[in-house]
Amino acid sequence: MMKKDNFQPARRRWLKRSLTVGGAAAGVATGATALASGSESLITEVQDWNRYLGDGVDANPYGMPSKFEGEAIRRDVAWLTADAKSSVNFTPLHKLEGIITPNGLCFERHHGGIAQIAPEDHRFMINGLVDTPLVFTMEDLKRFPRHNRTYFLECAANSGMEWRGAQLNGCQFTHGMVHNVMYTGVMLKDILAEAGVKASGKWLLPEGADPSHMTRSIPIEKAMDDCMVVFAMNGEALRPEQGYPLRLVVPGWEGNMWVKWLRRIEIGDQPWHHREETSKYTDLLADGRARRFTWTMDIKSVITNPSPQAPINHGRGRTVLSGLAWSGHGTVSRVDVSIDGGRNWHTARIDGPSLSKSVHRFYYEFDWDGRELFLQSRAIDEKRHIQPTKQALREARGENSIYHNNAIQTWYIAKDGTAENVEIS
Amino acid sequence: MGKRFTTLAGAVALSLTLLNGAANAADPEHGKLVFGQCAGCHMVGDGAQHRFGPSLNAMLDQPAGSATGYDYSAALQKAADEGLVWDVETLDEFLQAPMQSMPGTRMAYPGLNSETDRIDVIAYLSTFTSQAATSAESEQAKSTEVEERPLAADAELPSHGVLHIGREATPDEITAWDIDVRPDGTGLPAGSGSAIDGTDLYDSQCAACHGVFGEGEGRWPILAGGLDTLTEERPEKTIGSYWPYLSTVYDYVRRAMPFGNARSLSDDDVYAITAYLLYLNDLVDEDFVLSSENFSEIRLPNENNFIEDDRALEPAFVAIAEPCMSDCIEGEAKITQRARILDVTPDAE
Repeated sequence: MMKKDNFQPARRRWLKRSLTVGGAAAGVATGATALASGSESLITEVQDWNRYLGDGVDANPYGMPSKFEGEAIRRDVAWLTADAKSSVNFTPLHKLEGIITPNGLCFERHHGGIAQIAPEDHRFMINGLVDTPLVFTMEDLKRFPRHNRTYFLECAANSGMEWRGAQLNGCQFTHGMVHNVMYTGVMLKDILAEAGVKASGKWLLPEGADPSHMTRSIPIEKAMDDCMVVFAMNGEALRPEQGYPLRLVVPGWEGNMWVKWLRRIEIGDQPWHHREETSKYTDLLADGRARRFTWTMDIKSVITNPSPQAPINHGRGRTVLSGLAWSGHGTVSRVDVSIDGGRNWHTARIDGPSLSKSVHRFYYEFDWDGRELFLQSRAIDEKRHIQPTKQALREARGENSIYHNNAIQTWYIAKDGTAENVEIS
Repeated sequence: MGKRFTTLAGAVALSLTLLNGAANAADPEHGKLVFGQCAGCHMVGDGAQHRFGPSLNAMLDQPAGSATGYDYSAALQKAADEGLVWDVETLDEFLQAPMQSMPGTRMAYPGLNSETDRIDVIAYLSTFTSQAATSAESEQAKSTEVEERPLAADAELPSHGVLHIGREATPDEITAWDIDVRPDGTGLPAGSGSAIDGTDLYDSQCAACHGVFGEGEGRWPILAGGLDTLTEERPEKTIGSYWPYLSTVYDYVRRAMPFGNARSLSDDDVYAITAYLLYLNDLVDEDFVLSSENFSEIRLPNENNFIEDDRALEPAFVAIAEPCMSDCIEGEAKITQRARILDVTPDAE
C-alpha cells in the first residue's frame, strides 16, 4: 500500500541512492549489482519477475498504481489548518507527466468533510428569478446534451504561503493546489434555459449539499459563457472528494467557486456577499483595503522537474527540465526558462494539447555542466499577460494578500544536484 | 431503568436493547452520523489520537479517565477516582447534559436531547471497543424479484422549458433549501435574539473552537478583536475588523455552524449568537437584541474598505511588448532566502 511515510527529504534519498548505486548507472533499482566486468546482474541474471508468474486478472478489480510508485501521493501540511475535515492537501506535481492529473492525485479541499451521497438520493434545484423553479435527478441531468472539456482548477490560495518569502520546499507544496481534468457534463446555460431566467436575473448562487453548504456568487455572464455542471472526470464518475455525484465547473476562475456536491443554484439580482467571498477569498492590500470578486486565475507556471522533491540524480550532461503552465485568460502561448536566475531566458518547447484554461506541459533540454543553477520559468498567455516576479507582486499588493500569488518561482540547484526553494537578488 | 448490552456472538453487528417499553435496536450507522458533532474534538478508529478531547477507542466498560496520555479535567479525574466506569448507563446520563452532570468538565457541549441519538452514538462507540468490529456493514440482500417497468409511452411530458426535463419544485422544497441571506436583509427569517441569550449559546456551541472571547483556539478562526490591524504584518481579520456585512455572519452560522452539527440551531438561536458576536466585537451593548426588524441598521466598520478587482491596472499586468530575453539583470544571482532555513516542509514521520 502507498503510505505517507514513503516521502523522504531529497538529501536523504540522494545519499541512499549514492550508496546503493555508484557511477553512471544511477537509478532507483535496489537489486542492482555491478559486476567486475562492468555488466549488470539485472541483465546477466534471470530475475524473479522473469521467471515466476505474477497476479492473474482481477487481482485488483479497480486497478492501482505500481507498488513502486508509492511517492506519487497527495500530501498535506498539517500546521496550515485547524482540522482535517476543513483542510487541504496537495497534488504531487513533480510526479505527473503530460497535462492530465489522475483522479486519485487531484488535491482536496473540503470545508465540512467529504459528503457521501448516493446518486439516486441527490437532487439539484434551480430557484429564484426564473419562470419555473425546477428539481432534477441525476438521471434527468444526463438527458441534456453532454460535453467533454479539459480545464485546470487552481485554488486561489495556491502559493499563498510564499508571499512573505520562500517557505515550503517542494513544488507539491508551493504549487500543488492545482489539477487538470477532462470533465463530462452539461452546459449550465442549457439547464438554466429549462427554468427560464428572468431579465432581472444577474447573479447566481450555487450551493453544496455538504455540511458547509458552500455558496459563492457568480455573475450571469460567466454562467452563460462556459460554466458546466459535471458528473464525470477523466472518464469515470467524479470522486467523492471532488463532489460526487455533481459539481460546478467555472473555467479559469478560482477553485472555491467550483461548488462540489452541487444541489442548488439560485438566481438573484445582486451578489450575496457570503462568507467565502468576504471573510475569505478577498485580497488584502498593503493599505488595508481589500479586493473582492477577484475571480480569474492569472498566468502562472512552475518547473516541476528538477525541483526539491525531484533532484538531478544523473550528474552533469543532458538534462530534461519540465514544467506546467496555465492561465485563466485562455491558452498559454509561450513559456521561457532561465537557468541563471532570470539573467538570460530560453523559449521552452510546449508539448501536448494547447487548450484554453487548461494546463500546458513544457520542456527545456540542456547540457548541465555541474555548476550551480537558478531555475525559473515565465509564462505568457494568449492575451499577452506575462507572469510577474515576486518583487513586482509585492510592490503592487504588499505581503498579506494570501490569494492570487502567480509569481515566478526560483529553484536553486546545488552542485550535487539537490534542489531548494529560494529567493534571489 | 436498566439497559441490556449484548454482543451477538460471531457477528460484528452489535445490538443495544432498551428495556423501557418499546424495544428499539440501536443503530451504530446512525450513531456514526451523530458522532459527527463530536469529531471536532474526539477521534476514533485506526490511528486515533487525543485532540481537544481524548481518543474514544475501547472506552466502553472501562474506568473513566483511563486513556493514557490525555490530560483530563480535575472534575473527570475526581469522578474516576470515585470509581466511575463508562458503560451504557453512565454514558447515556453524561451525554444528556455533560456540563450539568459533571460540572467542570472540559467537554463544552450542551448535550444530546434525543435518547435515540445517545444510544446510537454509544452503539457506534462500542464498535471501537473490539478491534475487529470497525467495519460493521451488513449487506442487505437485494430483492431478486423482477420489477415491472412502466411503459415509456405512458410517461407524462412536463410543459416547461425547451427540452422538458426535470419537474417543478414545490414551495416547501424551496423553503427548505433557500436559506441564504443578503446584505440588504433579503432572506432573513422573522425572529430575534438577545446578546444575553447568545452568551450561553456561544459558550456551549462555539467557544470550544473559537475561544471564550472569540480569540480562536489553535488555528480555528478568530471572530473578535483585531481592530486597526489590517495594515500590520500579521493582520487579524475578524467580524469587527474585516467582514463587510453582518448578513454574512447570520447566513454562515445558520448554514454551516456549529462545525459537525450544521442546521441544528433555531433561527432565533442564530439571531442571539449573531448579537453576541457583535457584543464580543464591542459593536453593541450587552443588553442588545437583534431582530429581523433592526438587522439592516447594523453596519460593520470595514464595509467601505472593499474594492472591485483592479488587478489589470497593476504595472505587471500592463502588457510589455516583448519581455527581456538576455542580460536582463546585472551581476550573478545570489540567494537572499532559503526555504530550508524556515524548514516548515512536512517530512517523513
